[in-house]
Amino acid sequence: MVRLDQVTLRAGATTLVSDVSLDVDGGSWCTIIGPNGAGKTSLVAVVAGLRAPSNGTVVIDGQRLDQMGERDRARLVAYVPQHPEVPVGMTVQEYVSLGRVAFHGVMRAPRTRDRAAVADVLERLELDSFRDRDGASLSGGERQRMVLARSLAQATKVVVLDEPITGLDVRHQMDILELLKKEVAECGLTVIATLHDLTLAGLFTDRLVLLHRGEVVKDGSAYDVIRSAELAQSYGTTLRVVNVDGNDVVVPVRADTRG
Amino acid sequence: MSSPASARRVVLVAAATAVALMVAVVLGLVIGPVSIPTTRILGDLVSHLGLGHSTLTSTQSSIVWQLRAPRMVLGLLAGAMLAVAGGTYQGVFRNPLADPYLLGVAAGAGLGATLAIVDVAKAATIPTWTPVLAFAGAMVAVTLTWLIGGRSMRSTTATLVLAGVAVSALFTSAQTFLQQQSSAQSIANVYIWLLGSLANASWHSVLVVVPYVVVCVVVCVLAGRALDVMSVGEDEARSLGLSVRTVRLVVVAASSLGTAAIVSAVGLIGFVGIIVPHIVRLLVGTSYRRILPISVVFGAAFLVLADTVARTVMAPSELPLGVVTAVIGAPVFVLILSVRRMGNA
Repeated sequence: MVRLDQVTLRAGATTLVSDVSLDVDGGSWCTIIGPNGAGKTSLVAVVAGLRAPSNGTVVIDGQRLDQMGERDRARLVAYVPQHPEVPVGMTVQEYVSLGRVAFHGVMRAPRTRDRAAVADVLERLELDSFRDRDGASLSGGERQRMVLARSLAQATKVVVLDEPITGLDVRHQMDILELLKKEVAECGLTVIATLHDLTLAGLFTDRLVLLHRGEVVKDGSAYDVIRSAELAQSYGTTLRVVNVDGNDVVVPVRADTRG
Repeated sequence: MSSPASARRVVLVAAATAVALMVAVVLGLVIGPVSIPTTRILGDLVSHLGLGHSTLTSTQSSIVWQLRAPRMVLGLLAGAMLAVAGGTYQGVFRNPLADPYLLGVAAGAGLGATLAIVDVAKAATIPTWTPVLAFAGAMVAVTLTWLIGGRSMRSTTATLVLAGVAVSALFTSAQTFLQQQSSAQSIANVYIWLLGSLANASWHSVLVVVPYVVVCVVVCVLAGRALDVMSVGEDEARSLGLSVRTVRLVVVAASSLGTAAIVSAVGLIGFVGIIVPHIVRLLVGTSYRRILPISVVFGAAFLVLADTVARTVMAPSELPLGVVTAVIGAPVFVLILSVRRMGNA
């Protein structure tokens, strides 16, 4: 579904992403992990088509992103940034409806099928009762649910999310990730996300890609990657994996308490 | 302030704005040093459309048809254009302080007008080709701003605004130099022009600016939905399918062209482009699909009413229109900021 072929991204003399090749299957969830400055945000911006790679190609569903216009691309891949902007005074329904702009265009009002798609997403994500609320006045969890709804309203096969659970409490983190998991399982959505929380990344993800200094240093199942030596090396700290009720939990260990 | 406006409220505001426009039109035609009954003025205007016949004397008819009517119409066009240009600039630059002069229109027009005026330093009046050079100066400045800050693939609204600041500074310094080299009379003429006025309005000046204003206002109003998409940020707007560069180019071109045409005809009139969209935003919410069309009508009404004040408050002499809009605009702007602060508290 998503193929990155030797993708490199430079900003001036700095190489942000170096020679990354990935194949992500349709209907799967691939999470990019890595320490701060590893190039995760840059990589997902390339996958979302927002940054043109300096070298290499990104192909989604057989189509090269760099050869597509914005509107066609928006019907193929949706993007949720780390800090989405929610304009003050825009209702939840208006905000989610932005996800349909690629279908009806900016010169036309949403059509019946666009309104139906928005209504469907609002219902699926249990946002019906908020539809006339000011999106900017929602709590962090509700707001992130609304942003996710906007991306799902785009009805794309692929959704790219950059740190979608930043700033949320544990319950709302789980809530958002469960929603995504459900979309992957029931609708065949392909998810490419970055996450800082290694435990949650391992719990929800089919595949982890560990990025360090712009390069892929480990790529595999969550089980393998969170137990790899490369993980601790990349983060520059000691990590232990503890199994709690069948869930792998990644725990950092303080230097003076190592046994 | 932050709660979304209901459809009923939007309709009420639109209706009230339309009424304000009608009141402004009537006052613009009726108020003046020569008292002429309203009904007879309307009869005279209708007679110019080939319906019925005027009951005014030829002098009264000239006052209405050659002085007040073109002045009122030019005021409508100027107010509508400046207000909608301010609104679109605030949308495309996502900056509430953006006004139609942000990208160098004012500095360019000022330099163009100064070139025209100091060129004939011995003349006591403002030369007739001043609007042409003002328009040319405005367009050169905006084009230069675009070439410096808006052309490359990496350009953002921030680079465009910074380029506008640089170009404005350059043109303003050139204008200052020219003024420093010229006579006191031409400096006075430059300032008369810079302060803005509808006193020299004629049907000719109306006909010159009408095509620019109509096309540019329509383009700006139609951009409302695109500006709503851009309100989530440029990257997100692109991810939603919007060609941000194209929208930015079209909107900036339309706003600048229309503003340049208006500035060349009436000089620099400040505050309309800032306060009108802000007032409308307070009343109907943040959607540019509502703000822009209502700003067109509100701006037109506001400027004609301001001009009525400008030509009556110190009659028989006139206050510069730019002074009146600033005197009204500055406290209104402070009030808007206070309301916004309370809304955010």
